[in-house]
Amino acid sequence: MTARKSGSRLETEIERCRSEGQWDKIPELVRQLSAKLISNDDLGELLLGESKLQMYLKENPIKQASSPRGPRPKLVEVRKHLTAALDRGNLKADYLQEASLLMAKICYLEGEYKDALGHYSRVNLDDMQLVGAPVYRLSMIAEAYATKGLCLEKIPASSPSLSNKNSGSPSPNRSPGDREQEIITCYEKTGDIALLYLQEAEKALSAGIQNRSPKPGPTALDLELGYFLETGLQRAHVIHFKNGNLTQGVGRFREILRAIETRTTQNLRMTIARQLAEILLRGMCEQSYWSPLEDPPTVSPLDNPTKQGYTYSKNYTLSRRPRVYSGENLFCPQENTEEALLLLLISESMANRDAVLSRIPEHNNDRIISLQSASVVYDLLTIALGRRGQYEMLSECLERAMKFAFEEFHLWYQLALSLMAAGKSARAVKVLKECIRLKPDDPTIPLLAVKLCIGPLHWLDEGEKFAKMVIEMGEKAAEFRAKGYLAIGLVYSLKATDASLRSTQEEYQRKALGAFQRAQSLSPTDHLAAFYLALQLAVSRQIPEALGYVRQALQLQGDDVHSLHLLALLLSAQKHYHDGLNIIEMALSEYPENFNLLYTKVKLEAMCRGPEEALLTCKHMLQIWKSFYNLTNPSDSGRGSSLLDRAIADRRQLNAMTLPDFSDPDTGSVHATSIAASRVEQALSEVASSLQSSAPKHGPLHPWMTLAQIWLHAAEVYIGMSKPAEATACTQEAANLFPTSHNVLYMRGQIAELRGNIDEAKRWYEEALSINPTHVKTMQRLGLILHQLQRYSLSEKVLRDAVQVNSTAHDVWNSLGEVLQAQGNAAAATECFLTALELEASSPILPFTIIPRAL
Amino acid sequence: MLAMDQGVVEEWLSEFKTLPDSAISTYAASLKDKGSLIPALYKVIRENYSDLLEPVCHQLFEFYRSGVPQLQRFTLQFLPELLWSLLSVSAARDPHTSGCIEALLLGIYNLEIVDKDGQSKILSFTVPSLSKPSVYHEPSAIGSMALTEGALANHGLSRVVYSGPHLQRETFTAQNRFEVLTFLLLCYNAALSYMTPTSLHSLCQLSSRVSICGYPRQQLRRYKGISTRLTVTSEFLVQLITGIHYALCNGEVELGSKALDDVLYRAQLELFPEALLVGNAIKSSLHSAALKSNNREGGRSIQVEITPTASRISRNAVTSLSIRGHRWKRHDAVDLGSPDELMDISEVDEGVWPGAVGPDMTPPTITISNSTTTLNLGVKAMKKCWLGGRSSKDKESGPLTTGRAASENAELSVKRLTLTSSQSVPRAGALTSLTRTASVVFSRSFEHVASSNPAPTSNHTASEAGRYSCSLQEERMGYLSPTPNHTQRSPSISIHLGSDL
Repeated sequence: MTARKSGSRLETEIERCRSEGQWDKIPELVRQLSAKLISNDDLGELLLGESKLQMYLKENPIKQASSPRGPRPKLVEVRKHLTAALDRGNLKADYLQEASLLMAKICYLEGEYKDALGHYSRVNLDDMQLVGAPVYRLSMIAEAYATKGLCLEKIPASSPSLSNKNSGSPSPNRSPGDREQEIITCYEKTGDIALLYLQEAEKALSAGIQNRSPKPGPTALDLELGYFLETGLQRAHVIHFKNGNLTQGVGRFREILRAIETRTTQNLRMTIARQLAEILLRGMCEQSYWSPLEDPPTVSPLDNPTKQGYTYSKNYTLSRRPRVYSGENLFCPQENTEEALLLLLISESMANRDAVLSRIPEHNNDRIISLQSASVVYDLLTIALGRRGQYEMLSECLERAMKFAFEEFHLWYQLALSLMAAGKSARAVKVLKECIRLKPDDPTIPLLAVKLCIGPLHWLDEGEKFAKMVIEMGEKAAEFRAKGYLAIGLVYSLKATDASLRSTQEEYQRKALGAFQRAQSLSPTDHLAAFYLALQLAVSRQIPEALGYVRQALQLQGDDVHSLHLLALLLSAQKHYHDGLNIIEMALSEYPENFNLLYTKVKLEAMCRGPEEALLTCKHMLQIWKSFYNLTNPSDSGRGSSLLDRAIADRRQLNAMTLPDFSDPDTGSVHATSIAASRVEQALSEVASSLQSSAPKHGPLHPWMTLAQIWLHAAEVYIGMSKPAEATACTQEAANLFPTSHNVLYMRGQIAELRGNIDEAKRWYEEALSINPTHVKTMQRLGLILHQLQRYSLSEKVLRDAVQVNSTAHDVWNSLGEVLQAQGNAAAATECFLTALELEASSPILPFTIIPRAL
Repeated sequence: MLAMDQGVVEEWLSEFKTLPDSAISTYAASLKDKGSLIPALYKVIRENYSDLLEPVCHQLFEFYRSGVPQLQRFTLQFLPELLWSLLSVSAARDPHTSGCIEALLLGIYNLEIVDKDGQSKILSFTVPSLSKPSVYHEPSAIGSMALTEGALANHGLSRVVYSGPHLQRETFTAQNRFEVLTFLLLCYNAALSYMTPTSLHSLCQLSSRVSICGYPRQQLRRYKGISTRLTVTSEFLVQLITGIHYALCNGEVELGSKALDDVLYRAQLELFPEALLVGNAIKSSLHSAALKSNNREGGRSIQVEITPTASRISRNAVTSLSIRGHRWKRHDAVDLGSPDELMDISEVDEGVWPGAVGPDMTPPTITISNSTTTLNLGVKAMKKCWLGGRSSKDKESGPLTTGRAASENAELSVKRLTLTSSQSVPRAGALTSLTRTASVVFSRSFEHVASSNPAPTSNHTASEAGRYSCSLQEERMGYLSPTPNHTQRSPSISIHLGSDL
């Protein structure tokens, strides 16, 4: 800086320093300047005055909401410089204006608001040129408008001297509305010009850096908004909102956000984007929304009716405005959630960028600030996406919040819930574990984990652990204690179903019963406790006791579908088929689209009213299926598209899948014996639940599985009618969907039997068993065929295995008895027949376990 | 019911019937001036046995069917009350009284699920994406941060259906009840800004009662209506929460927060993740906004203050952004080889230092300074450096360094390194974590070196041992430094490990 600079270069340097706010360099430059020409003295005074004023402001920043008062001794010098510059009158007009603006600023700082306004009226701010003005002057003009607004706000409305001194309005009787209007206009102009200034300054800066130094050494300076620009930029919308004028406030927000961002405005944009999103989510609805490119509605419910007396209307134009985002195919939100989401995503990307990662104590505060600003954004994202059911996307967003999440319960819990809602069960359980660690006293969290373990995951051991946590909380768990017992009861109940040894089965059944009883006594008004107790009793064939509890459950919750279903099955176990059918029909009047009920209805109808009726029901089921899954919109695509579309896409993979058991003890919930099958179901249920946003939920079953089941039921009815051709056709439909399902193979075997092809039947059954070795019905049929083929010992082996898997299958006992008898083992045969007889007396038309067990 | 109320309602019933079509819009505008009418209608709905209920429901439906927005909103404001009426009656298993309310609600539902042409209406919205330019941003300015795997998978804007298509419904069944009611609440929520305080009040009440009836909390709230539990669905609760959120932020602070608590209570009991998710988010976001209950007359609790534009986060804190700027740059002396070699090394675990280090080991000279990659890559590069150092030993035949001496010195220098960073540079927080990583890594590697060189060999004196110097420099990260000669130096760490040979 020691080298003398030529005149124009010196001026450029001065201009640059003024634009970039490098006030400390000015005195030296002025020294060089005045050394050149005597007429530069006045300019020198102006520059010195300005730089000293700015330095003063930097050292003594004005705080928001504080009002300056009284003369400042340090400003005396500044005033001297400026007076000197103004008095001699040698300055060029532009510089003269600048000097006046600076004078006005000093007046404001000293609390002389009227004097300040006097200066502004002499300069006439509106006449100052924006086009072609140097960058620093844009900032000066913006600050002048801000200061003017501040002065106007400070002077009481009734002040008579104001109207005389004020430039624009000759009429002395200005209404408060006009005043308000003038103030807001000042601030809005400040905002627009300030944004323009920042854009221009940044442009100049980056150009300058490129020109001056090719080295990437010094990085860009951050321009700082002073008090005046910071206030001026925001004061307009603050006043709008204070006045309850939401439409104008939102309009102003949008204008600021639409201006192309600069480094300096990044934080402001982040805050404003979040605030606008808040307003969109908290104070607006679809009907009161208008898009950013539309004119706001003239009458809006958003504006406070009590302050309707005054309405602000924007009535100024500037010769230059800040540049806004433009271009083709610009996305413009059309709905409040869309806009809120867009703003939140922008906000999130910035908040994420500011995530403080270091954990040293010095940065505690920074970390808290960054965490807070981010978690507000994530909460708002949750509200917006939750409303629209977009849990999948939400879980992805919250996953990004994890860099803030160390030891932060709220973020972990929200992530877990979003994963759960998005159907990502396995991951949800993992995150829930962390939540439990952070908040070990909350019984809801382990219960949520059990819910997943029992339901889609079928992780019974894990589920048991979680349920025990709740129970161990004891009294602390309060209302959730009963739920804990219910949960562990369900775990045991499912384990009993899975167990292959009869002793283990009985052990778990006993434990389950105990748990349900405990739950029921803890919460006697909970229908679920009574219902599961009834179900467990029914499974262990204590029919009269089960009936008592199911009635109790129905008294508590009259239209509970599972209780009604259980009641019907219990009645069928007592061979009151007609009563059962009546109950089913009653239940169907409330749940006309429940396939589980319909399956039972098919069975009961075939029994009571003949197969024709049952076939009609099958047809009806096909219609329901079609209306359910066909009712989709072909036009929408991508995420959240119709269930059927997704299903069709999934069909490619179906060939490799097996149809889970249906008229088997394990339909209601996943059975673990066939691990492959349960994995498939797990995968499918993840798919199904991830679709829940657009499609109604119908249990965990895939729509194609439902369809296949309907066909197989129809096939079964045809077999009952001895119509092998039709049965084959139905089975073929199911086979088209699930060619390797053991149910399809089993049905084929039955058809073959019907046709008298014993060998073919045997082959089919063997294939079915190779896919699912524990399919009891197939085992029973195979046992019978082997019996017919007089291969007694093999038959006995198969049937004994079947009894091991399901000890309540009376027809297996019966077949076993026959085989034993044929082998001459009369005593054992008798025992078998007696068991069969006894079991048959309490056997429902479909196994009780087709009723789903879930928390 | 008072005779006066009855009179008002009857007048309202007859007035609309005689209205010519042309006068409907003025009539619609004048409705809100009928002060006593709305309370009277609420009474009619609450008193289930009133004779007026049927004609009132009928007229409300006519209003809705007219398609005039004001008339539709007039009907909608009673929705929460109608829902409660329906639910409480169905819970009490009293089938005959709610027939006309059911018909009204089904009527509105069946009107709303189709568009003008009678096609099933599908409510969808566009999921904005930061990778597409919008009126508020440019993708390039967001930077690479937002380009995560998820963002790339959903590159571009996608339309998502959030409701519909729905089936026409003739009757309420236990199965479709909540589907219909959820959809009706969705319609109500779409017009929330137009709803009166009374209606919001009624919505909060509905939410509380639906959630707590039949549960122990009912006693706490001292509600003595029905005491049977009402089934709810998660989606229904989410819609209720949306309405409560609006009420909470627009005057109904007390009732709203009570309702929100009740809904969350129920969501916990039912283990509904969706409702818990949204409810928790609202609670936490309002908690940070610290709502005051005294702005009742202001009506809206949307307050905006002037916020400082400067970042509140100190410039020295390691943030996701600042850490992106760090790269561990290799020194020129170390031959790094090709980038795919880098891959190999990154797979070598720190603990597995292949091969014993020969006695002629020359400690590598490593300079680490920043530029633009992630820390992750940085660490890889560092490993690379060690390996580079190791491989270079084969070529060089300089004096030998004893392993133990090396390790001792290294440990010493590591200690000094950490000390420097925390003492001499007060605002070196940005660096400490990096330093820590570095020190861990360094010490580990040298430990290994030490163990592979169990004893100092006799032919080397201690003076021959590598002397390590470690210096840590940290320039202020700030862009504005008070002294001009100190400005605009990008942060750099340079760790010098060199041996005087």
